[in-house]
Amino acid sequence: MEPQMKRWKGSACDADSWVAYPVLSDEQSQDVELIEAFAAPIVNKKETSQLVRELNSLYPLNGLQHIKRVRARKEKGSPHPLEVLVCLVSDAPDMKVVSVDSLLPGVKPDGLGEPFVVKVPARAPLTRPQFELASQHWPTSFHEDKQVTVALRGELFSPPQKAVMHMYMMSAVTAAKAGRELGMEAVGAVVVDPAMERIVAVGHDCRGDHPLHHAVMVCIDLVARSQGGGCYCFDSYPACQFTPPTSNMFQNGPDLEAGSQPYICTGYDLYVTREPCVMCAMALVHSRIGRVFYGTGSADGAFGTKFKIHAQKDLNHRFEVYKGVLSKQCEDLSSLNDHIKKDSGQ
Amino acid sequence: MGPEEGCEAEAVDSFCPSDEDVDKWMSSAFHMAREALETGEVPVGCLMVYKDEVVGKGRNEVNETKNATRHAEMVALDQVLDWCRRSSLDVRSVCEQTVLYVTVEPCIMCAAALRLLNIPVVAYGCSNERFGGCGSVLDVSSAHLPQTGTKFKCVSGHRAEEAVEMLKTFYKQENPNAPKPKTRKD
Repeated sequence: MEPQMKRWKGSACDADSWVAYPVLSDEQSQDVELIEAFAAPIVNKKETSQLVRELNSLYPLNGLQHIKRVRARKEKGSPHPLEVLVCLVSDAPDMKVVSVDSLLPGVKPDGLGEPFVVKVPARAPLTRPQFELASQHWPTSFHEDKQVTVALRGELFSPPQKAVMHMYMMSAVTAAKAGRELGMEAVGAVVVDPAMERIVAVGHDCRGDHPLHHAVMVCIDLVARSQGGGCYCFDSYPACQFTPPTSNMFQNGPDLEAGSQPYICTGYDLYVTREPCVMCAMALVHSRIGRVFYGTGSADGAFGTKFKIHAQKDLNHRFEVYKGVLSKQCEDLSSLNDHIKKDSGQ
Repeated sequence: MGPEEGCEAEAVDSFCPSDEDVDKWMSSAFHMAREALETGEVPVGCLMVYKDEVVGKGRNEVNETKNATRHAEMVALDQVLDWCRRSSLDVRSVCEQTVLYVTVEPCIMCAAALRLLNIPVVAYGCSNERFGGCGSVLDVSSAHLPQTGTKFKCVSGHRAEEAVEMLKTFYKQENPNAPKPKTRKD
C-alpha cells in the first residue's frame, strides 16, 4: 500500500474537485415546522417588561423556550415598534371574536393593541439554515454547533485533510476496479486508523462468491483478521488486504494494557465508494466505527437515502457520516455496475 | 404488523410453516439458547430449516472472531450457503423455502441479510428492543427496499418471556471484551 500512498500524496489539488457534506439526522435536516400564535403591538414601550412578566405567568410558552417573547417590527416608523407574543392559538380561550380583553382577562388592556395571528417555529433550530428560516417568522434563539455550520458549508476539512481523504478514497476506488475485474460489483472500501494515519484494511465487493460479502462486510472481517480474529479467507482476492498493527504499537510498554488494544473498529474511519446498504450500515454500528465517508448515494442506502442508521436515536452507537468524497470517480464506478446489470439482462 | 403483510415474492404466499413446525423447531432453538447460557455465551438459539431438515445452525461468534457481525443468524446463513454448495443446489431456490427459527428478533443487520438471501419467513421469540430489525428499532423486514432482496414474514412471540429471561440472566454478567461504557446523559 505504501507506493500507492506516495503516488497520491502529490495530487493534492485533485481534492478541489469534490466537497464532503455531512449526512445529518432528520431533526437537523427537516423543514422548519410552524405553529400559530397570537401577537399584539405594545402600545407603550415603557410597559414592555411589565407586560412580559404578566404574559409569562398567564401564558408560559412551555416547550417553546427558543421563542423570543418580544420582537421589533420590521418596518421602520411604525407607531408601535415592538410586538409581543401573547399565547399560542391552541392555548387561547375559545371565543368568537379575538380581543385583548378575551385573551387577557384581568390585565390592563390598554397596554396592548389589537391581537393578530403569527406563525412561530415549533422547535428550536438545530442548524444555521434552520435558524435562518425560523427567524424569518419570529425571532428565535439558537445554540449554534459551529462544526455543523462549517460542515454544511462544505468547509469542515482543510486542504491538507482533504488531500489525505482523497488518497484513502482513491484506494477504495482502486479496490473497486480490481473487484470489477473479477466480475464483482464495482464497490471498494478502506478502513483507516486516523490517529496513526494508517490503512488497516482494503476490500472490495465479493458478492459473486458470497452474496453477503459486500465491500464493507469484507473490510470488517479484514480488520478482525488484523486483530488476530476474522472468519473468512480473502487470499484469493489480491486487492483485499489488511495491515497488522505496526510494531511500535506494541513497543510502548505501558500502552500494552487491554484498554489500548484495538477493539473492532473503534476509532477507525471507513471510506467506501458508495453509500452502504442496511446490512452494512448496521454492521458498522455493531463494529463501533468512528466515522464514515462515502462517495455517492445508493438506492437503498442506509446513511441518508432510505435510513440514517448512524443517527438513529434508539441505537447505542452514533457517528458522523460524510458524503461526496471523490464523488465523480465514485459515480463513474456506478456506471460500471449498470453495465453489469445490462450484460446479465437484469 | 399483520402476518400477511411483508410478502413480496409470489412464492412466499403459499409458503408458511405449520403451527406444529413452529412449535417443534422453536423448541430446538430454545434448547440451543439454554445450552449457550449454561456455557456463558449469548443465549440465542438459531436454526434454519429447509424441507424439514436443519441446513444451518448458529450461535453468536463475535468474541472469538473479533468480528462484531458474527451474530448467530449470520453464522447460520453461512452454513446454509455451504449446505447448498455441498448439495449442489441453487442458493436462491433453497433460501426461498427456508425458515429461520430464532429465540430473539433478528437485529437490523441480520434482517437485511435475511432479505438479501430471500428468506421468506422468520419465527422468533422475544423482541429485541436494542437492535431489532423486524419492527422494534426499524422494520427492515417489510420496508420498501427494492435493491435489498425480498421482504419476509414474521411469526413473533413464541415463548417470548422465556427468551427474555435468558437474555436478562446473561446480561447481568458483564462482557469482558467490551470497552467500559460511557455514561449516557439521556
